[in-house]
Amino acid sequence: MIKRLKLPRQLWIILVGVVLLAGLAWAAIQGGPLATTRVTVTKVVRGDVTPGISGIGTLAAQRAYVLGPTVAGRVQRVLVDVGDTVKAGQLLAEMEPVDLDARSAAANASALRAASAVAAAEAQLHDARSRQKLAASDLRRNLDLGSKGFLSASAIEAKRQQLESADAQLGAAEATLTSARQDRLRLEAELSGTRQQRGNLRLLATADATVTSREAEPGSTVVAGQAVLKLADMASLRVRTRLDQSRSAGLRSGQAARIVLRSRAGESFPGRLVRIDPQSDSVTEERLVDVAFERLPDGMTIGELAEVTLQLPTVTKALLIPNAALRQHDGRSGVWLLNGGRPRFVAVQTGARGFDGAVQVRDGLQEGDAVIVYSERELADNQRIEVFTSLNGGHAP
Amino acid sequence: MDSPSNDGNEDGIRIEGLAKRYGEGDTAVDALKDANLQVAAGEVVGLIGPSGSGKSTLLKCLGAVIDPTRGRMTLGGALIYDNGWKIADLRALRRDRIGFIFQAPYLIPFLNVTDNVALMPMLAGSPNRAARARAMELLQALDVAHRAGAETSALSGGEQQRVSIARALANRPPVILADEPTAPLDSERALAVMRILHRMAREYRTAIIVVTHDEKIIPTFKRIYHIRDGRTSEERGEGRPLD
Amino acid sequence: MISLAGRDILHSWDRFVLTGLGLGLLIGVTLTMAGVYRGMVDDARVMLTNSGADLWVVQQDTQGPYAEPSSLRDDVYRDLLGLEGVAQAANVTYLTMQVRKGNADVRAMVVGFEPGQPGEPAFLIAGRRITRSHFEAVADVMSGFAVGERIRIRRHDYTVVGLTRRMVSSGGDPMVFIALKDAQEAQFLKDNDAITSERARTAANPAFNRPGVPGLLDAVNASQTSSHTVNAVLVTVQPGHAPDDIATDIRRWKHLQAYTRVQMEDILIAKLIATAAKQIGMFLVILAIVSAAIVAFIIYTMTLGKIREIAVLKLIGTRNRTIVNMIVQQALGLGLIGFAVGKIAATIWGPAFPKYVLLEPMDAVRGFMIVMVVCALASTLAIRAALRIDPAAAIGG
Repeated sequence: MIKRLKLPRQLWIILVGVVLLAGLAWAAIQGGPLATTRVTVTKVVRGDVTPGISGIGTLAAQRAYVLGPTVAGRVQRVLVDVGDTVKAGQLLAEMEPVDLDARSAAANASALRAASAVAAAEAQLHDARSRQKLAASDLRRNLDLGSKGFLSASAIEAKRQQLESADAQLGAAEATLTSARQDRLRLEAELSGTRQQRGNLRLLATADATVTSREAEPGSTVVAGQAVLKLADMASLRVRTRLDQSRSAGLRSGQAARIVLRSRAGESFPGRLVRIDPQSDSVTEERLVDVAFERLPDGMTIGELAEVTLQLPTVTKALLIPNAALRQHDGRSGVWLLNGGRPRFVAVQTGARGFDGAVQVRDGLQEGDAVIVYSERELADNQRIEVFTSLNGGHAP
Repeated sequence: MDSPSNDGNEDGIRIEGLAKRYGEGDTAVDALKDANLQVAAGEVVGLIGPSGSGKSTLLKCLGAVIDPTRGRMTLGGALIYDNGWKIADLRALRRDRIGFIFQAPYLIPFLNVTDNVALMPMLAGSPNRAARARAMELLQALDVAHRAGAETSALSGGEQQRVSIARALANRPPVILADEPTAPLDSERALAVMRILHRMAREYRTAIIVVTHDEKIIPTFKRIYHIRDGRTSEERGEGRPLD
Repeated sequence: MISLAGRDILHSWDRFVLTGLGLGLLIGVTLTMAGVYRGMVDDARVMLTNSGADLWVVQQDTQGPYAEPSSLRDDVYRDLLGLEGVAQAANVTYLTMQVRKGNADVRAMVVGFEPGQPGEPAFLIAGRRITRSHFEAVADVMSGFAVGERIRIRRHDYTVVGLTRRMVSSGGDPMVFIALKDAQEAQFLKDNDAITSERARTAANPAFNRPGVPGLLDAVNASQTSSHTVNAVLVTVQPGHAPDDIATDIRRWKHLQAYTRVQMEDILIAKLIATAAKQIGMFLVILAIVSAAIVAFIIYTMTLGKIREIAVLKLIGTRNRTIVNMIVQQALGLGLIGFAVGKIAATIWGPAFPKYVLLEPMDAVRGFMIVMVVCALASTLAIRAALRIDPAAAIGG
């Protein structure tokens, strides 16, 4: 007995039933043990990888100077301002001399007086010498006479005594002269010192430079060593760069670098690594290097932030994988190798790493091996996977 | 034609002194006071009475849906009520021994025509195939077999009526209670229905009680029971032929 | 015997299916809420797993670094490396902050990590890992960033070089991974206004601004703006050693707090998520009650619409049991359709939620059983009504 339902209705009911069952089956597969993990796969290829080192640094002048007085004093005048370019030897500021001029005059007078004392001592010496000569010849004559019996012994003794006295006086006059000369030297040195001090009140530019800061205004008191002006040779600007110790293998002086300034984000300037500091920063675990511009751009300022990239020699014909394929599993670093459609973890040894993400594989893989690059969740050995060309960043349940 | 054998139908239905009281004490209402009735197998009798006469109460007692207060009922030779039900399972009684035809067809809308009829033997435990075979038999007898697979809503009123008659007959009950079966019909169709009822009564040896006040069909009864004020009285009918 | 429930459903299948659809959406919401809770727990677990650590070492007496702030000196990790059984010890910082992209802000957890050490993202779904030592970032897809975009964290712009997924904080914020030093600066260095006013305050303090000690003020300023603090040290343990033992050692001898994986899970899930869990639990109960009420109402209405048929059925001898079965089966059928629709809907719209929605198969099974039970119970209202129907009502008048 055939039941004849209206066909459209029967069709509708079957359709609804099928849709619900299919939908339920699909929903059941989405989660749970039957679910597959979507991954993308790539082959291990041979190619070149250019490792690099990057870090950030600040612009600093290699030649910078701090100008200030050598003794405490008051600033009398400051002749330049921030940004001025100065030449070597140019007078930039002056301290107040206070009593220095008077002391200089006094020292001068003392020196002159000492010079006259020397002259006097010289004259005295000349006089003592001539007296001694006279006494000596007198004695000689008297001795001669004495031997002929014309003079008594006491007269000769008296003459001898006179010679001794004249000798002593000569000695005294010589000593006086020496002492006067030494005095003169001392006072002349004092005078010269006072003059030098006076000279130190004038702050001169030590080289061609730019004034970077004006620290004290006329009238302010500054102590010895305190800065009045700071100068920097803008042509000596370098990037003082900090590089992570852990990623700075292969640093060598002279390596080419590229510099990107924060104030000019789009441009990169060529440069060179000119110095590696022998002392690293143990607190921040960084090495300090200086990178110079090949051609210094205009308008640089000290303290600007810059990103520095150093390219190391390219490693050619290396086995390469993208760094996204590297995973950690069971405490080892490696990749998921596709083995008969199922993943298997292999530990690898890596070598050079490029900025583009390419990583050299030293050990563990062969050319042509298929490795998993992206996956939508953590993988396990032999997990069911489905290979896609891209995971397009979408959500997956 | 051969009439199918109907065991247990020899005596049709008989009630004696049936009474039904609703309520107790001062508010008690005696809907039935003394009802007596007897219909033989194969007979079609009419039951006429105004509203409030106890007609529907009598019908409900005959249909074993309410408990009479006192009296005797014999159905198909078996005593089913004697101042108390003698049968434990009234529902099975209704299912197997009483057929119902209502004012409106009252078919089950979510079953098709065949299943509406086959439902009866299925309820009685028949396997589906046999039940449907029986249903087809009856539908053919009632000339609606061509609508066997249709939805009930697709049938005309007359066709639905015939299906309901087939349902009432499906378990070969000894008695069929028909409640105003011709009320909505015109005289031609009403007489057609009466013809069917007479034929079915004869063929299936069923006693049929037709409750009606339809003037169009009253002349066709050979015997009529009147009920008034809870009491019945018998009358000889005109017995006009239907052919 | 034919199935009355089945016939009734087939007869008015469209109404049934539509009702099932509505109920299904409600069930879908319920399943999704459960999924939100599971997702939160999974977020926490995944964050712990993806950090790659066996131990979390944080400031003493804190429950950090996720549940509470924690601050450590960044040289503490060296002491930890010296402990027996420690394989790796790496500094990490965590800070939830706003990350700018163009004109929009994204709330993210900025993670500072060291490449190759615990704390870096376990897998990528696009792009590459960080190769430069500064100003590159790997972001979770939930952040909405794409590879190559520039984002701004505090003072600097970073280029997004890679994407990952399921790297979210326990609060559901996507993670953005940057170099540790960059993250330290972002977290601990104040904004320009604060720094300027701090410098002014220091300069006004005579203890730090001594004219006789040039360079003192600069040194003090420099020390105020340097950041040598991290939030935690992630430790991995050598095979064969128990994390619990090492944790105990650290707690006792190093004046630090150390948590194992189990303890961290407890902190995150039991403490951090506890409130949200209670809220979701209450919401689920309410949804269940509402669903039960709706099913009860629907089945009751369907039953009332069949009063005459039920009266006729009872009259012609249908057992009460059969009628009850019909009602219960209809309720269960409704529940079945509703559950199927709900599970499908939840699977479809789950990924669109801002938080991770995890639909576990066991939850679906439990949900199914609860739906069936609820439907069966909800049908009791209709059953009571059906049992009360008087078969005599079919006999009119």
